[in-house]
Parts: sequence; C-alpha cells; structure tokens
Amino acid sequence: MKLDYVRLLGANELIRKISDTTYWLCITRTVQESKLFPVPSYMLLSYLNAFYRWPELLRKVERVISAEECGDRAREASLKLNTVNAAWCLPAFYLLGRELLMALGLLRNDDAAEDVAYVMDFTRRFNLAYHRGDAHLTNKDFGDRSQLLPERTLQVFEADLFEVQPGDRLHTAATQLTSQLAQYSFLAHCECRIGIHNSGPYRFGDGRELLVRDWFDLAEGDYPWLDGIATGLPHNNLSIPVVLCGTHFHLVDDWGSFECEPAYSADNVVAVGLYTSDALTEGYQPVAMEDRDTLAATMERYRDIVKQATADLWKRIAGWSRDQMMDGGALVYSTVVKDFAHLAGIYDPAEWMCIDERAARFKPMLNDEYGRDALGELVGLLSVPTQQVNEYSMARTSNAAHHMMSALPYSVLAGGGFAPGAGPLQPGSSSLPPKTGAYTTSRGRLELAEYNRLAADFRPRAQAPEFRYLDDEWVKSHWRTPQADALYRLSQEHSRSLRGQGAGLRRADLARLKKP
Amino acid sequence: MHDPIGKWGTAETTPTVRFFHERVRRLVAERIDKLGGDRAAAVSDHTGALLGAADLEAIERELLAGGHRFEFSATISIRERPDAYKAKPGTAAPAAGGGEAAAGDGRVEVGSGDNLVRRKQNLSGVARFISTLDQVTDMLINGVPPETVAVIDDSGGTLTAPILEGFAGVLCLGGTVRSHLGILTREYGIPCLMNCKLGAGLAHGDRVEVEYSAAAVSGGAYESGGAVRARIWKLPD
Repeated sequence: MKLDYVRLLGANELIRKISDTTYWLCITRTVQESKLFPVPSYMLLSYLNAFYRWPELLRKVERVISAEECGDRAREASLKLNTVNAAWCLPAFYLLGRELLMALGLLRNDDAAEDVAYVMDFTRRFNLAYHRGDAHLTNKDFGDRSQLLPERTLQVFEADLFEVQPGDRLHTAATQLTSQLAQYSFLAHCECRIGIHNSGPYRFGDGRELLVRDWFDLAEGDYPWLDGIATGLPHNNLSIPVVLCGTHFHLVDDWGSFECEPAYSADNVVAVGLYTSDALTEGYQPVAMEDRDTLAATMERYRDIVKQATADLWKRIAGWSRDQMMDGGALVYSTVVKDFAHLAGIYDPAEWMCIDERAARFKPMLNDEYGRDALGELVGLLSVPTQQVNEYSMARTSNAAHHMMSALPYSVLAGGGFAPGAGPLQPGSSSLPPKTGAYTTSRGRLELAEYNRLAADFRPRAQAPEFRYLDDEWVKSHWRTPQADALYRLSQEHSRSLRGQGAGLRRADLARLKKP
Repeated sequence: MHDPIGKWGTAETTPTVRFFHERVRRLVAERIDKLGGDRAAAVSDHTGALLGAADLEAIERELLAGGHRFEFSATISIRERPDAYKAKPGTAAPAAGGGEAAAGDGRVEVGSGDNLVRRKQNLSGVARFISTLDQVTDMLINGVPPETVAVIDDSGGTLTAPILEGFAGVLCLGGTVRSHLGILTREYGIPCLMNCKLGAGLAHGDRVEVEYSAAAVSGGAYESGGAVRARIWKLPD
C-alpha cells in the first residue's frame, strides 16, 4: 500500500495502542513458563517468523477476501480469528519481531515501512468489523469487554440453552468437558492459551450474565502433531455458551481471558449449550441440542475422547526433541492468523506450517536463558535500546520513557532509502513430521483440496449483500420489515425454540417459546 | 550511518542478551556496508549475508568458553545439552520461602501461597513434589496416589496435563492466579495455591494441611498489593 501522511498517522496510533495494551497485559500476567516446552524461546522465534512471512501471506488472503469481510465473518460465529489470535496477536507478534530485529541492528525503524503500515491497516480493518457490535477497536478500548454478537444470535442462545443445577447430569457433563477441553487445548497448542477464547459478557437479566467460551483446533486439522489424535471428535472447534447467576465478569481482556466477582465457579453456572463453527458454517451450528439428555450424553462422550487425546498427545510430545518443541510452539504462535487463509480457501501448509529460513537462522541464539531474558527485556522491562524514547516521555502504564513497540518515523514520507518490506516469501522448514491426516470440518473429514474448494465457494447468507450491513442499529427502526424477519430467520434456522419466529421477539417472549 | 542504540538507548540489562546483541550488532554493522546501501537486500537478507546461524553458533561458543552456562527452563534443554546448561537443582527441597512456626497443635507452618478459589474447608493430604516427565509418566501408568497434594515448580499447563485431574490439591511454586496452571485447576475445581513459598522443612511424602479456605486472591491484588497469603502446615507423623 502506498504510504501517505494520514495512513502513517493511523499506523502509529495503532502501534502505540497495541504497545500500551500489551505492556499492561504482560505485567498483569506472569512469565510464561513450562518445564515441558522452551516457551519464551519459541515465542521469540515465532515473532521473527511473523515479521518475515505475514505481510506477504496476508496480501495473498486479501486478493480473495478483504480483512473487513473476514471481520464480518468472525463476528457472526466463533472462529479462531478472534480477540486474541487476530485482533491482538496479529499486530503484537509482528511488531515484536520487528523490534527484536531492530535491536539486533538488522532493521532500522524506517525499514519495512510499507509492510508495517499494511499490517496495521489490515489489523484496523479486521478489528473494526469484528468489533462492529460494540464499536471498539480492542477489548481494552471497551473497558476489557467484548460484545460481538447481535440480538438475533443471543436470543437463540437464551431460548435454546438448557438450564442446569450443580449435581445434575448435564451440569456435571458440561463442567467436565469444559475442564478437559481447557487442559487439552494448552497441550495441543504447546502451552499457548490461544486455543481458548472467551467473549462477552452479555446481560441475560435477573443477575445473570452470558460468557461465550470457545476451544479451537481440537481434532485432526492444521497442526501436523494432531494427526491420529482425537480422531473420534467430529468437530474441530467447540463453543459452550455458559450463563452464570450472581457472577459479574468485570474483565474479558484482549487475550480472551476473563476475571469475575466472585471467582468463577461451576456451581454458579445455570445454563449451557454446545455449538460448533468454522469457515464453512452459517454462524453457530448446534451440537446435540435436541434435548438435554442427548446433549449430556454427547458431552460425556466428547470428554472421554478429549481425555484420551490428552494422554495420547502428551506421550507423543514427551518424546519430542528440543528443536521439535521449538518448532511446534513457534508454529502455533506464527499461525495464529492462518484461518484467514481458510476463509479465503487458499490454505497451504507449505506456506504456513514452516519456519522461514530467515527466522530459523536465530535458533543457535535461542537457548532457554536468552529466551527468558530477551522476552523479559522486550515485553516486561522494556530495556531494549530501540524501545527508549526521549527523556520527557511518560508511557501510559509505567510512566517511564520507553515504549514496547517503536513507531514509524514520518521521514519515510520524504523518501530516504528505506526498504519497503521484508520481500517475497522465502523457503521454510520444520523439524516435525509433515501433515498427512485429514482436515476435520463441519462438512466432515476432508482432504485439503476439497476443504479449500468448499471454503472458496462459501459465503454465509448473513454476509450476502442484502444482509451484510443490517446491524442492530438498523433493526431498531426496521424490525417490522420482511427483510428483518428474513435476517433473523437465518440465525433461527437451526434453533430448537425459535425457528421461523422472525425479528419481533423481545426477552419476555422467549420464556413461552423455550422448548425443553 | 545506522545507529541501533539510538540517542536515548543503552545496552540491554541482562548479561546473556547483552552478550549476543552487542556481538550481532557489531557483525551486522561490519557487513552492511558491503551491500552498498541496498536496504531491500539488507532487510530481506534472504542470502544470510548479514547474519547466519554459524555466526550465532560462534558467539555462543565464545560465551561458553568463558565459563558461562545457561539457566534452563525446559527440562529437554539440559537433557540434550548438559554441557551448555547449569546443573539441575534438587527437586525435593524447595529453594526458599516462608518461615516455620509451630501452631501449638502439632502442626508446623511451612509455607504460604495465593489461594485461587476460596473453599469451604482446608484440605489435608500427602505432599508429592512433581517436576519431571518420568514422574508424570509413572503416574499416568500407575495412577495418581490418593490424597496427593501436588507440589509443582511449573506454572504451565502441560507438564502434568494427563494426570492433573487426579490431584486432590495443588501447591504451585511459581506463577500467579492468572497462570495457566491456575486457569486449569479452577476449571477442574481442584483446590490450588499459586506462587507458593515453602520452608526447607517440607519433604516429599509429608502430610500437609493447606488453608484452601483462605480468601481468594484476585488478579488485581498483584497490582494493588492487597493479596492475603494462605498457609501451609506440615502435620505430625
């Protein structure tokens, strides 16, 4: 993209926003550690991989589907293009890779200016569309909250979720599946939390709040190390909307983590459901939501599958070399935005599941101690030389004269011999066994070519031109129109309770329509 | 001329990072002129003209030759390169921490931690220190012994993945209530103290009582400094 003053102003505003938000997230969490994986070292490797590869990979996606259309798709369902993976990791990992390369003297702060501005512009367009429902750029901007979903989706949740009490079969099944999914997700993602996502809260009345809880990349799919693991699980992504009574979620942050008062307890969960969604679904697809016994039995079965998968995968990973653990973790982190390629129908593991040779050359530096300390300097101490700014500056949280991520100098508008970008994709490799298994999708276990073909041909009906721009603000004054009814019926199509009801419902109507 | 330190910068603060970065900066500065001002070639560096893996291997050799040994975090690192990493400390004796105080009823306070979720009552069990793949493998095959209060020196969520559910309670020697292990124990409903500090008087196999009934520590307490510590007692034999 061609640089101009306004674009550069916007890029620097977003760089500073992500920088400030990331610093707050890092200092209020803890050092990432694991006795199993060399986590900080692979994180740094992933940042470098992101810097060298993402601009070209994202440009390829946008030749098929724009960032804002991806945001529209992600907003309507639970895709891995969410708060943590796309809205935060995308800009943050890319910029941290750039910062590390600047600290090593390999980049100047004006180098790759067109790449940097493009990645920031992509991020802004995606985030604005993804957050269209609450009209913020990040969860932090909204006071650590995300309200992505429209009324038509939330009404289906409210009408169809099954009420539960501690000790009943469905409550127990949901609690056990939730915990097992969380455990498996950390393992499948090599200790990263990015397979887990939470969004909301949404007000459900009578002191109740809804949190939408998601888990991604559970079955055979993009990660080569999941070949042969969890093959009995028919869904790659699962969502469990939970309603809690007497619990207020005061923080749902840009990492998709939540905090609430009182502390989260399954005892306070009063309603649950189960859904799946992916690049081929019309929004959320109910899973075994016909009746509570079927749902409980399904959750119990999935929990057993995931529990076995956890043991199977742990034994596999326990036999990995350090290089394989480095590559696995770095690939998890540097493919956080791979699902853009799935939406476009152009996913290619040769492009995504590899460490660029320009990033891989740094492996001899990435011992455990260097990884721990360099990451600490980069995101905690902010003591890397390039992060220092003039002595009068006071950063948002620390009040110190530093910023985690350097801005672009405006001098690039006057020329000056900088390189526009990192250049074309270069070869990459991985020390892990190559992908051979199937891809688990909502249309069955597919070969990649078929998955890409279906994805390229698919566009959800809610994203058709006649519906795409119809938001709740439009519904406010058009709810009696046939067009509004048609839009709502799309979301109600698979609803046990609201199928065909249309746009005129209010909360008070749902109780009489709710089917057991 | 490119100046990576910049007007306001100083070298990195940690010695290993500073060692690598200073040498890489020097190497790159020496080589960049050879590209004749071709910034595109420098930024892409797809030929490795500015820096290659062999350069970094040489820098590491220089560091190790001076007597430095790396601190490890993942056990695989020291297992594969024992000569490059500092020896692994013992796992049964905790490093440092809270004092020991007799409670008058035979219990001896041996440490404290941050309570994740307030429980209705304290819990008694057998302290078992778990820090290796072999230990986890053994418990995966033979089962987690009953009443295990796992003492884990890793706040991550993967080391104990296949056996976590079997623990009666957890004492984590690092992290915060927001760590991955904290998230998981909360999901499983397993009583857990994070960020524990233990005295030297607690050993593998000791019976302990843990004050899981203490107030929960919110994530915000780390910023405000208002966290209340839950206590850990060693019980008489």
